[in-house]
Amino acid sequence: MTNSVPEFSAYTECFLITGSNTTEAHPLVASHVMEGLERGAKLIVVDPREVQIGRLAHLYLRPRPGTDVAWLNGLMNVIITEGLADEEFVANRTEGYEELKQVVLEYTPEQVEEITSIPADDLRKAARMYASHKPAAILYAMGITQHSTGTDNVKSCANLAMLTGNMGIPGGGVNPLRGQNNVQGACDLGGLPNVYPGYQKVTLPEMKEKFEKAWGVTGLSDKVGLQVTQMIHGACDGSVRALYVMAENPLVSDPDINHARHCLEQLDFLVVQDIFLSETARLADVVLPGTSYLEKEGTFTGTDRRIQRVRKVIEPVGDSRADWEIICQLGQRMGASGFDFASPKEVMEEIARLTPIYGGVSYERLEPENEGFLQWPVTAPDHPGTPFLHKGKFSRGRGKFHAIHFKEAAELPDEEYPFILTTGRLMFHFHTGTMTRRTEKLHQEVPEAYVEIHPADAARIGLDGQKRVRVSSRRGEIELAVRVTEYIKPGVVFIPFHFAEAAANALTHAALDPSSGIPEYKVCAVRVEPVSS
Amino acid sequence: MAEQDTLIEQIRAHVEDKLPALDGIVALRRTSEGTASYLFHEGDDLSQLVLNPRYPLSTTVSMLQKRFPEARFGIVARGCDSRALVEMAKRNQIDPDRLYLLGVACTAEEAEECHCATPAPDIAQWPQAELLGTPVEAGSPNPIVAEYDAMPLEERRVFWKQQFSKCIKCYGCRNICPVCFCEACALENPAWVEPGVLAPPFPTFHLIKAMHMAARCVACRQCELACPSHIPLTVLYDLMRRDVGRMFGYVPGDDLEALPPLSLTLE
Repeated sequence: MTNSVPEFSAYTECFLITGSNTTEAHPLVASHVMEGLERGAKLIVVDPREVQIGRLAHLYLRPRPGTDVAWLNGLMNVIITEGLADEEFVANRTEGYEELKQVVLEYTPEQVEEITSIPADDLRKAARMYASHKPAAILYAMGITQHSTGTDNVKSCANLAMLTGNMGIPGGGVNPLRGQNNVQGACDLGGLPNVYPGYQKVTLPEMKEKFEKAWGVTGLSDKVGLQVTQMIHGACDGSVRALYVMAENPLVSDPDINHARHCLEQLDFLVVQDIFLSETARLADVVLPGTSYLEKEGTFTGTDRRIQRVRKVIEPVGDSRADWEIICQLGQRMGASGFDFASPKEVMEEIARLTPIYGGVSYERLEPENEGFLQWPVTAPDHPGTPFLHKGKFSRGRGKFHAIHFKEAAELPDEEYPFILTTGRLMFHFHTGTMTRRTEKLHQEVPEAYVEIHPADAARIGLDGQKRVRVSSRRGEIELAVRVTEYIKPGVVFIPFHFAEAAANALTHAALDPSSGIPEYKVCAVRVEPVSS
Repeated sequence: MAEQDTLIEQIRAHVEDKLPALDGIVALRRTSEGTASYLFHEGDDLSQLVLNPRYPLSTTVSMLQKRFPEARFGIVARGCDSRALVEMAKRNQIDPDRLYLLGVACTAEEAEECHCATPAPDIAQWPQAELLGTPVEAGSPNPIVAEYDAMPLEERRVFWKQQFSKCIKCYGCRNICPVCFCEACALENPAWVEPGVLAPPFPTFHLIKAMHMAARCVACRQCELACPSHIPLTVLYDLMRRDVGRMFGYVPGDDLEALPPLSLTLE
């Protein structure tokens, strides 16, 4: 996030929430949004599903899934043609405006209505509401990113925020809500194929030199590694022969899991480190038991770049060990130097030494009687941290507008597969359910998978009161319960992906965003048929 | 502030005095890892004993008394803790004869913040108790109740519908409630509340909870503080308390001897 969650309750005057089921997936963020609404802030929700927070919105727009660039360009079209842009910000802080303008002027509200099915006047109202209330914050989650055009969608959100001068101010910004408590931390610390900790590029010779020196080694690779989706393909074609999976369950969470399973089965050697025997762990040659958050020391870095301590409450159960200990032991047994840490505190000392954006982080500062938390960049022991980014200047200097045209999703509905499937999470379960589906109370709330379908579509497929359906795509089919609801847009069906026995990802396909490699979980074509019981 | 500093010192001194005669005293403890309810024993660092943030310590006492049926515990109790203990005692959730109540009077600011009608424990009704601090006047009533009273019926329905549309069914209001202790909760019974639906069905979910609060809610305000969606739950329960008062002359938490009217009929 460019900004901080508490700014939503304190400063934001208008929220644009898109592709985020905020109350269900990020209830604590939603709590700050609600406080902002009580203060009088406006709320615009753009989502093909009428998610709960959409019912609290002043304006609720319901696009066809996979058309985000079109409506975002449409908003900018209205803002420019009605003179609502922040001209001073555009002139002083940005570049590439003329190219952007040329492209978005093609996206009139009427044309956008044709592509997205958002009524032209609603789009105009939304543009005016967003542009005339400052600071305005854009909040998004996987509904924006999990597309073959995910990077385009994100850039378009940034375009919109810059066009209205909503960058570098408290309560504004572009705010992706991260889907796990520490996924931000995992990215910050180099859990990406192209960077060392702190987004220092592996391809830069000076970085290679810096880390070789720090770690007392030579020959660190200066080539970009594989993205997670490429690793799975690599397993299939033999270019990847061993895989070490930590705290991830790709046999439920990857797109097109029938294919993913086939790929993992080709591996010579699979290691899975997890706190439960997940679907993926069952396939492993070796399972290393990790620890839950209650059994380990360390830090989590939350969605707003907030670094906080996590503390051990109980000793690790059974043979399990903290993840850092397992990794260090492996390193030592492979004969590598640099793995002899005595505690997570020592690991953080190395992180701070080698990672400029974490340069001022120390366990002392994270104690509640001191600062309690820090938000990066925090570059030195006396640096206070950064609640919001890009104040006065972007990290690259001027903010770059990207002129982007709308592209259709990789797979569109047709006669054979007439519905768009979109997937997501529920309040009561988390991700692949390895934790929440073992919890009795949560299991009682939602014990099994279901598909949401609009009443008109239910009639069209002749559901006729049947309780179960078969949903199939070009890649697989599942049988599951059905919920008929107007919360879903006609022509679209929704399946939560938590349920391994009726896995939505048996249907999704692995079309990838060319830049980030993220799969298109939010759009694929399916068929829905009643199953007589 | 100086007065508060003196009060907490006084509380710590009294706890130290009483500890040798008890199997421990329940209070809040603040360490570098946060603040939580804690059973203080002799020799513990009493500088860690604090009064804030407020937390229903009566629940901890109930749990401990059930687990250790012979033990005698103490509790550092505000007015709301004491009221909750009163209602719990009537329903066999705690045993007053095995409890030493170290009562603490809230400050005028705290009383006002909570709109609290009785901001100090009534120690006269407890077998073993003392009171520290000077009791202050009641806080002013919750202004939203007056606003609500002025609404026509349809507007009230819209008000609650809007408020409860924010509910994410986290059960925080129930879990924090000191007088919610049923082992099987009606809110989790699919016959009453359709599971897995957000927001939970209006108005059944919240009205079931409200009905179960009749003659029980002691206005500790914990549910409202716990609610991540900022639903003004105490308004609902203030109204319920007012009705129960008018109809049955019963004020939950007031009198250890008074029998709850609904226990005589429904419970």
